[in-house]
Amino acid sequence: MQQLTRTIALILMPVMVCAQSTEWTPVNLAITDSHVLPGYARFSEATSALVPAANTLCSQATDTSLQQMKDAFHASMDAWQGIQHIQFGPITYFNWNYRLQFWPDDNGTGGRQLTALLAGQDETQLAPEVFAGQSVGVQGYPALERLLFDADSLQQLQDEPFYCRVVQTVAANLAEMSAGVESRWREEFRTTVANADERGFFESAEDATIDFLKALVEGTRRVQQQKIESVLGEDRAGSRVRLAESWRSDRSIRNIKLNVAAFHAIFEDSVPSLSEVFVPDDVPGILAAFENLEGTLATLPDSMNVALETDQGFQGLQSARDDLDALFETLEAALKNTDLYLGFNSLDGD
Amino acid sequence: MTNLDRRQLLSLGLILFSGSTAVCVAGGQKSGVRRFASAASDRNDQHWVSVLCEENGSVRLLMKLQLPGRGHHVAIHPDGNGFVAIARRPGNWLVIGSPDTGGITSQIRVPDDRHLYGHGVFSKDGSYFYTTESDFNDRENENGLVGVWEVNTSGGEIRLHRVAEFPTFGTGPHELVLMPDGQTLAIANGGMRTHPESEREVLNLDTMLPSLAYLDAASGKLLEQQFLPGDYHQASIRHMDVNAQGMVALGMQFQGEPWQQVPLIATHNRGEAFRLLLADEPVQGQMQQYVGSVRFSVHGHTFMASCPRGNQLTVWDTVSGKLLDSVRSRDGCGVCAVEEGFLFTAGTGKLALYNLGRLSVEELTSDESGLMWDNHLSIV
Repeated sequence: MQQLTRTIALILMPVMVCAQSTEWTPVNLAITDSHVLPGYARFSEATSALVPAANTLCSQATDTSLQQMKDAFHASMDAWQGIQHIQFGPITYFNWNYRLQFWPDDNGTGGRQLTALLAGQDETQLAPEVFAGQSVGVQGYPALERLLFDADSLQQLQDEPFYCRVVQTVAANLAEMSAGVESRWREEFRTTVANADERGFFESAEDATIDFLKALVEGTRRVQQQKIESVLGEDRAGSRVRLAESWRSDRSIRNIKLNVAAFHAIFEDSVPSLSEVFVPDDVPGILAAFENLEGTLATLPDSMNVALETDQGFQGLQSARDDLDALFETLEAALKNTDLYLGFNSLDGD
Repeated sequence: MTNLDRRQLLSLGLILFSGSTAVCVAGGQKSGVRRFASAASDRNDQHWVSVLCEENGSVRLLMKLQLPGRGHHVAIHPDGNGFVAIARRPGNWLVIGSPDTGGITSQIRVPDDRHLYGHGVFSKDGSYFYTTESDFNDRENENGLVGVWEVNTSGGEIRLHRVAEFPTFGTGPHELVLMPDGQTLAIANGGMRTHPESEREVLNLDTMLPSLAYLDAASGKLLEQQFLPGDYHQASIRHMDVNAQGMVALGMQFQGEPWQQVPLIATHNRGEAFRLLLADEPVQGQMQQYVGSVRFSVHGHTFMASCPRGNQLTVWDTVSGKLLDSVRSRDGCGVCAVEEGFLFTAGTGKLALYNLGRLSVEELTSDESGLMWDNHLSIV
C-alpha cells in the first residue's frame, strides 16, 4: 500500500516553476516613484483646480463659467482614473476611497441624500469638518457630477445660491482629500514601502509587491465586471447605460481607457517594473493581451452613451470586455508560475 | 449516505509522508511537538485536508488527503485519534480520517435535501457529532438545522451514523461550539439565505436576521437566543469560540456598505445582552467588514479575530473588550490557541506564531510550499 501511495504522490505533487528570485523593494520603490507618486501629484493638482473654478462659477453662473467648471471636473476625473487602481495605503484612511467616489451606488443612496441636503438649505452642514463627516453619498465625484451635469444645472446654479454653495463645498472637500492622499504617500507611505521588509504595516517587501500586483490584476477584473459587464445586457436593447460609471458626464469609456493605460504603466513603465515579477517567458503574452485590449479600446468613442447607440459600438464593448477577461486570465496563469499568491480566503471567504 | 471502500478512497489521493509520523503520533508525542489540522487548496484547484507537525518553530507535513471539494473546518475527536473534514457551503460531504495513520475511515454525505456550512463539533465524550446544515428547499421559513450524528469508534476508526436533526432557530447557521457545561450548543445563525441553485448568492439581504442561539444538545430545545440591534441586522454572525468561563466571542461579516462603521466583534455571556466591540481607527476600517475566524487563548483572557480581507489579525482583551494589538498577515485566517499565544495560517501558504507575551509574530519554517491554507486551523 505504501508503494501505491508513493506512486500517487508522484503523480499529484504539483510542479512548481518559480520565477527567478526577485528583489522586491527595488520594484516597489520604482513603481512608487515613477507611477504612484506622480499619479497622485497629478490627481492633487488637477483636483485643487476645482476650487477656483467653483468660486468663479458661483460668483457668476453662466454657460462659460459652468463649462470651465465642467472642464475642471474632467481634468480631475482624468487624473483620478489614472490612479484609481491603487487601493491600498493612504487612500484607505478616513474612508477617503469611498468619500472620493462612492460607486457603484446600487441603491441610489447618493441621489436621495444629495436631494435632501439641497432641500435642507442648512449652511452648518457645509462647514468643512461637518461635511467631511457626512454620508459618502453627498461627497465626491458622483455628487459633483450630479450637480454640474443635470439638464437644469445652470438654472439651479443661477436661482439657488445654496446649490452653488454645495458645489463649492464638494469641490473643496475633493481637493482636501486629494491633497491628503498625495502628501501621506509622499511624506509617510513611501517610507513604509521602502521599509516593508521590517515587519510593520507590511509583513515583508514581497507583501507590498502583492498590493501592487493586486492593483493590476484585481483592477483588471473590476473594470471588466463593474464598468462594462454591469452595463451590457444580453443585447444592445437590454443594455443599461445608467449603470455606467460616468453616464451623466458622458465619459464612461474614457475612464476605462485611462484605467487600462494605468494598468499598462504599472506593469511596464518603471525600472524595474511589475513585469520583473513574472517569468520572462510569460511577459510577451501579457503584453500581447494589453495590445489587443488597447487596439479594441482605440476603436471606441469616449462616450458609452454614444457607443451603445449602434450595434458596432455594443460589439466593441463586448470585445473590450472579452479582452479584459483575456488579460486577467493571462495574468492569473502567469502568476501560477511565480511563488506569489494574491490571496485565497480573502477572495471568496465564508 | 454513501460509504466508500478503501480502493475508492485511495483514488481520491492520500499522500502520506513516510517516516515522518514517528515523533508526532498521539501518546508518543514528544513535549514541544504539536499537531495541527487544516483544509487547504493547491494551485491546480485540488483540495486537501492536511495534518502538520510543529516542533521548535519548524513545521512538517505529516499527511494530506484529497477532498472531493473545498473543505472548511476540521473537527478533531476528543481522543485525538480521528478527524472530520467538513465541506464548505454549499457542499454535502464529510470526510473522516485518522491523523495518526493518515488512514481514511469513510466519506459520507448529508441527505440530498440538506447541505453543510463547513462546521461541526463533537460532544464532550466524543459520542456525538453535530453539523450546521440547511433545509434549503424551505425558502420561506428559518431553515437552519443541526444534524446529529452518533459516533462509533469501535475498531479504532470513527464512523458516523445520522440519528436526528433539529432547528437552529435561524437561517444560514455557520459555526457552532459546545459550551463548557458539555450539554449546550451555541450556534451562530448567520442570517443569510442561499440556495444551491444560485450558488452563494445572498437572497435576503434586506430581511436577514442573524442571531446567537443556545440549544440543549440532547433535545434541541431553545434555551436562549440573542439578536443584534436592528441597525446591524446585516452583520452576519459567522464564527465563534467559547472560553472556560462560558464567554462566547463572535466574529461578524457585514453585508451592507463597505464604508459604514459597524461592530464586527461581540462577546456574550448567558443571560446578558451582547457586548459589541469596535476597534479604534484605522484598525476598524482595515478589518474590511469581515472576520474569518475567532479563537480564545489557552487561558481565555484574550481572543484573536482574523480578518483575511483586511490582511489583519486582531487581538482582544476578554475582560475590557479592548483591542490589544493588531498585526499584518496577508490573507491570514486560520487561528488556534497554543501555550505561547496563537498559531495562525494564511491563504498565501504561510504559518506563523503570534507570541502573546511579546506581542510579536514569529515566522515558522515549513517543508510544504504548495498549499494555501483555508479559513480554519485546529489543534489535534
